[in-house]
Amino acid sequence: MTSKTPIHLTINGHRHELEVEPRVTLLDALRDHLGLTGTKKGCDQGQCGACTVHVDGQRVLACLTLAAQAEGRAVTTIEGLAESDGTLHAVQAAFLEQDAFQCGYCTPGQIMSAVACIREGRAGSDDEIREYMAGNLCRCGAYPHIVAAVRQAALEVAS
Amino acid sequence: MTVHETRTRHGDSKRGDASDGAVLAESVGGRLSRVDGPAKITGAAKYAVEQQLDGLSHAVLVESTIAAGRVRSIDTAAAESAPGVLLVLTPDNVLRLNTATDWLGTPPPDAPYCPLARDITFSGQHVAAVVAERFEQAVAAAALVKVSYDETPAIVDLDDPKAGDGIPIDTMTKEWGDAQAAFASAPVRICAAYNTPREYQTPMEPHGLIAQWQGDRLTVWEPSQWLDGMARTYAEWFGVPFENVRLVSPYIGGGFGSKAFAYGYSAVAAIAAKMLGRPVKLAVTRPQTFTAYGGRAATRQTVALGADAEGRIQSIVHRGVNETSVDGMWVEPLGSVTSIMYATPNFSSRQNVVRVNTVVPGALRAPGENPSAFGIESAIDELAYEAGIDPLEIRLRNYAEQDPEAKKPWSTRQLREAFAAGAEAFGWSKRNPQPRSMRDGNQLIGWGVAAGTYPVRRAYGEAMVRILADGSVEVESSSIDMGQGTYTILAQTAAEVVGVPAENVVVKLGDSRYPRAGVTGGSRLAGVMTGAVHKAASAALDQLVGLAISDPNSPFHALQANTLVVANGHIRSPRGDGPEVSIAELLGSVGREQIEAMGDTMPANSTADDRYKNYTTIATALSHTEGDYSRHSWCAHFIEVRVDEDFGTVRVSRVVSALDSGRLYNPKLAESQWKGGIIMGIGQALLEEGIVDRRHGRIVNNNLADYLIATNADIPDIEVISVGIPDLHSSVLGGKGVGELGIVGVAPAIANAVFHATGKRVRDLPITLEKLI
Repeated sequence: MTSKTPIHLTINGHRHELEVEPRVTLLDALRDHLGLTGTKKGCDQGQCGACTVHVDGQRVLACLTLAAQAEGRAVTTIEGLAESDGTLHAVQAAFLEQDAFQCGYCTPGQIMSAVACIREGRAGSDDEIREYMAGNLCRCGAYPHIVAAVRQAALEVAS
Repeated sequence: MTVHETRTRHGDSKRGDASDGAVLAESVGGRLSRVDGPAKITGAAKYAVEQQLDGLSHAVLVESTIAAGRVRSIDTAAAESAPGVLLVLTPDNVLRLNTATDWLGTPPPDAPYCPLARDITFSGQHVAAVVAERFEQAVAAAALVKVSYDETPAIVDLDDPKAGDGIPIDTMTKEWGDAQAAFASAPVRICAAYNTPREYQTPMEPHGLIAQWQGDRLTVWEPSQWLDGMARTYAEWFGVPFENVRLVSPYIGGGFGSKAFAYGYSAVAAIAAKMLGRPVKLAVTRPQTFTAYGGRAATRQTVALGADAEGRIQSIVHRGVNETSVDGMWVEPLGSVTSIMYATPNFSSRQNVVRVNTVVPGALRAPGENPSAFGIESAIDELAYEAGIDPLEIRLRNYAEQDPEAKKPWSTRQLREAFAAGAEAFGWSKRNPQPRSMRDGNQLIGWGVAAGTYPVRRAYGEAMVRILADGSVEVESSSIDMGQGTYTILAQTAAEVVGVPAENVVVKLGDSRYPRAGVTGGSRLAGVMTGAVHKAASAALDQLVGLAISDPNSPFHALQANTLVVANGHIRSPRGDGPEVSIAELLGSVGREQIEAMGDTMPANSTADDRYKNYTTIATALSHTEGDYSRHSWCAHFIEVRVDEDFGTVRVSRVVSALDSGRLYNPKLAESQWKGGIIMGIGQALLEEGIVDRRHGRIVNNNLADYLIATNADIPDIEVISVGIPDLHSSVLGGKGVGELGIVGVAPAIANAVFHATGKRVRDLPITLEKLI
């Protein structure tokens, strides 16, 4: 269990080689081994959504995914969402404008979930957004502003 | 150190839509977007335990599995020989510390402090810790530590027959008139018991820290609501000078009262770092956050209201109980709202605390006011129905024109305005008072109202303001931003005072090397720190203008002006004659690198000792009734619920709240905080409850799938209306508390709405379906 295994991860378009134990989660690989701490650890047991990242374009919980499971697949984290010149993704800009966060700890997961929610075609109404964003907890209580931000970003993405 | 520059981003509104219509977004009172926002939405914001240090090792806690008894033995052999393990700490080998001064400033007993327990007083107590090279190794090895116990019977909660009546807390007693006699003779009477369960802060960022020693200097990266208070604790624990401890807390992923103190696990990590001579990271797991520190104590209240036939209150008799731990003391002040919300000639409130086998409870958003309001604001609704009076009308009929307890005028109390604005926006006048009178298919609809309040807690603050050679302004303070908007409002304050654009202000917070700050709690920070920054920035501006007038090399020297105007980063004569030069040009011409001014709001004759005590304890905090006025924030919540008639499920479908927090320094951010409090209140009313396994005295739902907090799908649109006016008795710039106010009164408004919908009065939170069917 404690012997290390080489794995190759493609994160935000960059290829990384890691030597990690097979039991290392994608979340800990990102945060502790690659210094990509934008992905947050809120519960480490798949209940809060703070660690939401995209694997091959699908939203997944990095705390319930072993790093080795991401081998050969494209991982996108919050650090890879804006364009290389710093231009924010429409969802990021909408979160800032709508004040869709306070402490900011759930925010990367909310944003990654929101991008996927829009892509999944589940941002058609406020009720649909509430339902499909319900897996990302926010204790500061930014929910109404998150709904407003997702609604705004969905319109921008569509146009 | 964390630095935020204010930049205007795409989509930001330059002009606010404050009611006067003319507040620039970047001035005090403007709707500037949060300046720490760009870092938080891109993942660049590094929280405390995310610092990447060379040689970092990882500590994992082992907790007691019994609630009462004694550790007989701890078998560490398997853990010690597990791969990567560096150290296994137990009560036998852990370094003894000094006991530290508490937050009230009480001198500690001359006794050692051991953060790992041999005598067990609650389930989940730290008994051992394992430190390993890698996190996964520490987790695996911690599971190999075998603890055996001699178990004794535990008092599991307030309902335990062994719990007893508890200890009377005389300082909570409030009496005037003859409350018992007046109640007995009142023509309209109600008397009922109201209960709230254990509730937990559950910030999304779990607690934890990285501790690193360099000689006798300790650096701690730890989420903190109180850098200087926690630095003092570490210094006293280890017997090193206060100046040797540096607390760094760049961002805080939510606290809600839970991150103001260094706890037992903090000591464990700092001890391990000292014993190993290398940095140690200890991240408290989500389940451990339910016992590593305390949530809100379970409470019990009885409220008896006696009124005349018109519903005018003649007497309030209130009795309260909260739980505390076996060896710690937590008083949740249950009479705090009861004694001030309504005018009454006769009043009696008393409170006991009961010791049970739990971690010592702690502060959770509006400690005291929150459960207190659940009691009195439910009770007055019951009185309204008993007297046949509209629940809003009975509140107005008993409106307290002055503080009934302190017998002093309110500094400001816009509660009547809050009732009016909220009722109008909600459509309260269309309400049929009859329970079960509104339905939509199988959903029963109910409308409820309740008021809330929170005292204005005041303290002194300190800040450094520098005007730099390039004309930008720098603000430094060891206060913090856990989402309330400190970075933003301090940038707005300095920008307005000095006369520069907010994007030219850099605010540095979250490092105990900066000028000191007291606790970020009790909704006091914004008022304290805007006052301190205002003072420091004014002093810096005076220096700047003084230089411009008097320095022989200044382009203004020949003008012989009495004063100059600084606006938008430029200096000119108020008469319009003479030159207009930028701040950078002026500093260049007079040969100054920077101007700096320290400002504090401490009394002028304060000693260094006074200052240290002010920033590291709450001993010098000012009472909200000090002087001639009683100072509080106020609010009124109007809430609609829909209750499924067959299943008893409750959904909140509409919220309108009108709130008086005085002047808002940034309405955009204040509205977010209010809504956050209301949402936490919805969770409290309908979902949140720490469930105790009565066999083992253990919290069984110690995770976010079983301890339910509100999700996005639970929350409707929420309308908040500001009815505050500037209150200069409460703070330098006229604001009152924001952060805690919003939650107070939400649970009773929902309970009252549920009664209106169903005819069933639920007096025991949370309002779950089995209580309705």
